[in-house]
Amino acid sequence: MKATKTLLGVAIGALLMGSVSAMAETVKVGIIGPFSGPFALQGKNFQAGVEAYMALNGKSVEGNDIEVIYRDLPTANPAQARALAQELVVKDKVQYLGGVYFTPDAMAITPLLKQANTPLVIFNAATSAIMNTSPLVARTSFTTAQTTTPLGQVAFDDGVKMAITVVSDYGPGIDAENAFKKAFEAAGGEVVETIRMPMNTTDFSPIMQRVKDSGAGGLFAFLPSGPPTLGFVKAYNETGLKQGNIKFFAPGDLTQESDLPALGEAAEGLRTSFHYSVSHDSPENTKFVEAAGKAIGNPEQLSFPAVGAYDGMHLIYKMIEAADGKQDAQKAIDAVKGLSWTSPRGPVTIDPETRHITQNIYLREVAKGPDGKYYNKKIKTFPNQKDPGLATQ
Amino acid sequence: MQFVAQTERMTAAPVAGRRRWSRDAVGVILIVAAGVAGYFLFPDSLALLTRIIAVALLVLSLDLIVGYCGVASLGQATLFGAGAYAAGIACVNGVTEPLTLIAIGAVAGAAAGLVMGAIMLRAHGLAQLVLSIAIVQLAHEAANKASAYTGGSDGLAGLFVGPLFGVFEFDLWGQTAYLFGLSLLVAVFIILKFVVSSPFGMLCRGIKEDPIRIRAMGAFVFPVLLKMFVISGAVAGTGGALAAISTQVVGLDSVSFELSANALVMLVLGGLGTLYGALIGTVIFMGFEHVVSAINPFHWMTMVGALLIAVVLAAPGGLSDLLDQISAGKKRNSGGRP
Repeated sequence: MKATKTLLGVAIGALLMGSVSAMAETVKVGIIGPFSGPFALQGKNFQAGVEAYMALNGKSVEGNDIEVIYRDLPTANPAQARALAQELVVKDKVQYLGGVYFTPDAMAITPLLKQANTPLVIFNAATSAIMNTSPLVARTSFTTAQTTTPLGQVAFDDGVKMAITVVSDYGPGIDAENAFKKAFEAAGGEVVETIRMPMNTTDFSPIMQRVKDSGAGGLFAFLPSGPPTLGFVKAYNETGLKQGNIKFFAPGDLTQESDLPALGEAAEGLRTSFHYSVSHDSPENTKFVEAAGKAIGNPEQLSFPAVGAYDGMHLIYKMIEAADGKQDAQKAIDAVKGLSWTSPRGPVTIDPETRHITQNIYLREVAKGPDGKYYNKKIKTFPNQKDPGLATQ
Repeated sequence: MQFVAQTERMTAAPVAGRRRWSRDAVGVILIVAAGVAGYFLFPDSLALLTRIIAVALLVLSLDLIVGYCGVASLGQATLFGAGAYAAGIACVNGVTEPLTLIAIGAVAGAAAGLVMGAIMLRAHGLAQLVLSIAIVQLAHEAANKASAYTGGSDGLAGLFVGPLFGVFEFDLWGQTAYLFGLSLLVAVFIILKFVVSSPFGMLCRGIKEDPIRIRAMGAFVFPVLLKMFVISGAVAGTGGALAAISTQVVGLDSVSFELSANALVMLVLGGLGTLYGALIGTVIFMGFEHVVSAINPFHWMTMVGALLIAVVLAAPGGLSDLLDQISAGKKRNSGGRP
């Protein structure tokens, strides 16, 4: 009985869809991301987020069919990014652009948006300043300043009076250093030393020695996720800093879920702050993890870019709805300003001023789950964090 | 530099001057025709075509020192990046006239070429190659560190280029950028054809063949090669400035080892020491890359690898050599060395 009812529903639905889509158009969405090369895993997460959203919410909005076109941009390459965006707009006639992993690529695309009459929804690129470059850009990821700032107070409340920062010497690392320093000093602490490591550092023991010598009680670190993190965390353990009671603080890029199996025991007890944990306990997240895990194939590879893409698709769907399938970038972007909804990461809002996402930042600790796998266990929530990076610039 | 010597073809000298001129005139006409055909055949991909032109200038500049002087380099993007950043920084600081920006890029590239040549020409063979890599890595790191001027890893954004001749805007559809780039490429190509067939160009070829003999003839090797480095720098800098103008952003990738290595791959693919090879290699490599990456954005690199292996096995002298063999195989034997 139930089966026939469902079948009937599907049949009627299909009929309705058929009749509507006869007059509605196909709306094309261009997604630019690193789908091959060293960052292919992040691109896969983009794709999983997009596919999960479409699987759960259908492939059409009010009768407008949605077609997603993926374009590969393996590493940060602004010239190529611009060429790809230009081609998606001019040749493939996309009405919406999404994706973008690296900041320089986003910076190259934003000047095109006005003329292209196309909004861009950024799924990842995390430098605050991007939002100032075009009024037609919205972002559903995070900024380094946003995820880092709560750590200043956390460290101070934890009894750390003097801290040392160790970051990779590139844009996001310096952003993280500044954000932590500002927040920690505002809380009343003192940053005794700031170390900037070259990007390709592999031997971290000399740095750990400097940390030890500095007399700081807390260590704030930021490195790009992936192999360097592994070496850094190992060095932190092996040089006795962990036992020596120098507390470790970092934004969640360091303990992203796809790296945890490799980090293993070494990561246990590390405290990080981030906007999303795969283990987040909510019905929305359960649904998301199931769908995205299926889309990506191996659920262990699921990580934060997927949720950025998932929420990004939510914005794009809302935009398509508001513009009714027509190409009207201003109308589309206006429709999502101030939009609030419950994302897999928790309650979120698009800030009407900056068009960046306002969200909870969670303090987590790496712990071993009942199934023997490591996960980021939530210990504290900082609700409704805006991007402090935009205010400071 | 054995591998370079093997692919060399010295057809120019014995062939009668007039015949060479007519051949080059046909070549230039073909380039213009291909460029105009590209404009009408792919009106929606002009951004990509403009990017190809910018990289073609880089590969041409590399051909000057690899193909004509026998100096192998894996750091040519230093010169490209110097032009791109110089034009970019000038543009951010209020110089918006496109031709002026190109000139600034060319001058900066030439200056970088002077420095790079002065350093690289101290060494020979493999050491020279290693030096070129070191230089491009240093330049990359310098551009990263000087983020106040270059934007560092975020890229130098906010370039607002004024209209060409005060009329033609550099817009989304990229017609202006493409036609501007194409005219630039043709102009540079014609100038370079004069350069390489001048006595100076012949001297460079001679040095590539046998530097000791040239020295014994009474010519100075170092200044001649340095001069070629400066010319090469100006060409690469022009390419960099064109990239900066057309994309309105300059990233660290423009001074990267990857770009340098890709340029050398494109050059070898097309064929060394003819200038035509540089163009053919760039168009084939980037066009192929673009097509397969659009068809399969996830596994396209495998296809590019397969193409490279196929070409290197089937045409060790590059694609232009293959074309030569097909169209004028009989003439090759009469080529001889001067």
